[in-house]
Amino acid sequence: MNDTLKRTHLYDWHVKHGDVIPFAGWEMPVRYTDIREEHMTVRNSVGLFDTTHMSRFLIKGPQAQVFLQKLTTNNVSKLEINEGHYTTCLNEHGGIHDDLTLYRVGEDEYIWITNASNGPKIHEHLMKHSSNFEVEVVDKSRDITMIAVQGPKALPLIKRITNSDISEYRRFSCYRLKLAGYDCYLCRTGYTGEDGVEILVLDTPFNDEGKQKAISFWDELLKAGKEFGVKPCGLGARDSTRLEAGFVLYGHELDEDTSPIEAGIPYAVKFKVEPQYIGFDVVKQHKNEGGIRKTRIGLVMIDRGIPREHYPVLLNGEVIGEVSSGGLSPILNKGIALAYVKPESVNMGDTVAIDIKGRMRKAEVTKWPFYNPEVYGVSRTQ
Amino acid sequence: MSDTEVKDDRKYSKDHEWIKVEGDLVVVGITDFAQNSLHEITFVEISEVGTSLESNSECGLVESMKASSDIFSPVGGEIVEVNSELEDAPEIVNEDPYGKGWMFKLKPSNLDADLAGLMDPAAYKEFIESL
Repeated sequence: MNDTLKRTHLYDWHVKHGDVIPFAGWEMPVRYTDIREEHMTVRNSVGLFDTTHMSRFLIKGPQAQVFLQKLTTNNVSKLEINEGHYTTCLNEHGGIHDDLTLYRVGEDEYIWITNASNGPKIHEHLMKHSSNFEVEVVDKSRDITMIAVQGPKALPLIKRITNSDISEYRRFSCYRLKLAGYDCYLCRTGYTGEDGVEILVLDTPFNDEGKQKAISFWDELLKAGKEFGVKPCGLGARDSTRLEAGFVLYGHELDEDTSPIEAGIPYAVKFKVEPQYIGFDVVKQHKNEGGIRKTRIGLVMIDRGIPREHYPVLLNGEVIGEVSSGGLSPILNKGIALAYVKPESVNMGDTVAIDIKGRMRKAEVTKWPFYNPEVYGVSRTQ
Repeated sequence: MSDTEVKDDRKYSKDHEWIKVEGDLVVVGITDFAQNSLHEITFVEISEVGTSLESNSECGLVESMKASSDIFSPVGGEIVEVNSELEDAPEIVNEDPYGKGWMFKLKPSNLDADLAGLMDPAAYKEFIESL
C-alpha cells in the first residue's frame, strides 16, 4: 500500500480486526464485520468510531474570539466556556472552505475540529490569518486521539467509566474530565444522527507509548460497552449513518462553490456578529435576497435502485440537478440520496426521476432525516 | 486471497465473472473473489429477458454497501432468464456466488469465439493472485 498514507494511533488494532482501506490520505477501517450490522448497532445500541483522522487545532490568546469570528459563520460570542457549535469557514465568495465543530474550552481557548481531507488547507488558512491577531494556533491533531461513541446506549456506556455526572451535559457541550482514568474532553456531539459523544483523549502523542495508550482506552470503551452489545464501526457505517441522518459531507454536499444557504445548513450561519466574517455579504444575500444557484434536497427511491453521486435528477424529462451522496438506507431498506437541484424546481412529495446508468427510476422528494425521528435518532433520547 | 474459491467446471473473465455452459445455454455469475471484494451485496439488476448482447457489453449492475459495479456479459447472445430470487435476496450472491447466486442465462450467439477469450480456472487463479 502507498507509504505516504497516514495512520491513526489505533491502526494496529484496525488491521487486526477490520478491513483497512485508503481514505482521504489515511488508512482507515471501512468495516470490521458488516456495514449494515455496524449501522444498526449505532441505531439500536452503541458503536465506536475512530475519528482520529480528523484535524484538531487549538486556538488561544486574547483575540481568539475575534479571530474565530473573522473566519467562521456561527456566532462565536454566544459560546460559553464548555460549549460548542457547528459552523462553517467560508472563502471570499461565500463558498465553503470547510465545515467544523468549534468548542470553547477556556476563557480565550478554543478547539477547532475539522475534516480529515481539509486538515492541511485549514491549517494554512489559520496560520495565514492568525498573523493579524493576538492568537496562537497549535495543530494538536497528532497529540490527541479522537473516538466517537454513538447510539442510544452511548451515555450509559460513558457513565460506566466516569464519576462525573454527565447527565447534565447538554448537546454540543464539551467538558474536560477523566474517563477510565484518562484525561479527556467529552463532547456531546456526533455525526450519526444519534445521541452520543466524541471523546478527545489528551496526551496521546503519535509514538509507541501514545498508541498503546489510545488502544488501551479503546479497549476500555469496548469493555464498558459489552453489556450493551457495543461494536467497533468503520467508515462505511460512518457514511451510511450520516447519509440517513441527512448530514452533509465535505467534497460531496460542500465545496468551495457552495454556500451554507445552498447546502441547507442555515443554522451554521449568523448575521449579528462582530466582526463580519469572510464571505459574510454573499451568505447574507443568499439568505435574505436569494440569488442561490442550487438547493439541497433529500430523495427516497420509489422504484428499485440505489442512487449514487453524480447521477442526474430529472423532472418531466429535464435535468434539474444531480445526486451528491447516495446509498442504501438500512432502516428503510431503500435507496436514499442527497441531491442538488435548481432552486424552487421541486416541492416536498414531488416525484422526480434519477438516471441510474441510463435507467430512469422514480424517487420522491423528502425531508431528512430519512428515518422516523420518533423511532430513531437523537430526538427520541432527549 | 488463498481462501478464494475457483470452480473447475467453468470459465472466467477479467471482470471477475464466471460462465458455465449448460446444454444450449450459458449461465453467468460473479466469482467468489468478486463477491468478497464487493462485500454486503444489497442490489442486483440485470437487463430484461429478450435483450440481445454483444460479448463484454454492459447488462446490469451490482450494488454493495460501499459501491456500484457494472455487470458485463462475457459472451454474446440473448438473455433468456434472469435470477429473480436476487431481487428480494441479493445477499445470496455473497453466500453462494457459484450456485444460487447465478445472475442470468443467455442463448449464446458466438460461443466458441467468446469462450476462446476467457480464462480457464488455472489461469483465473493466477490472475487473481497477480492482483
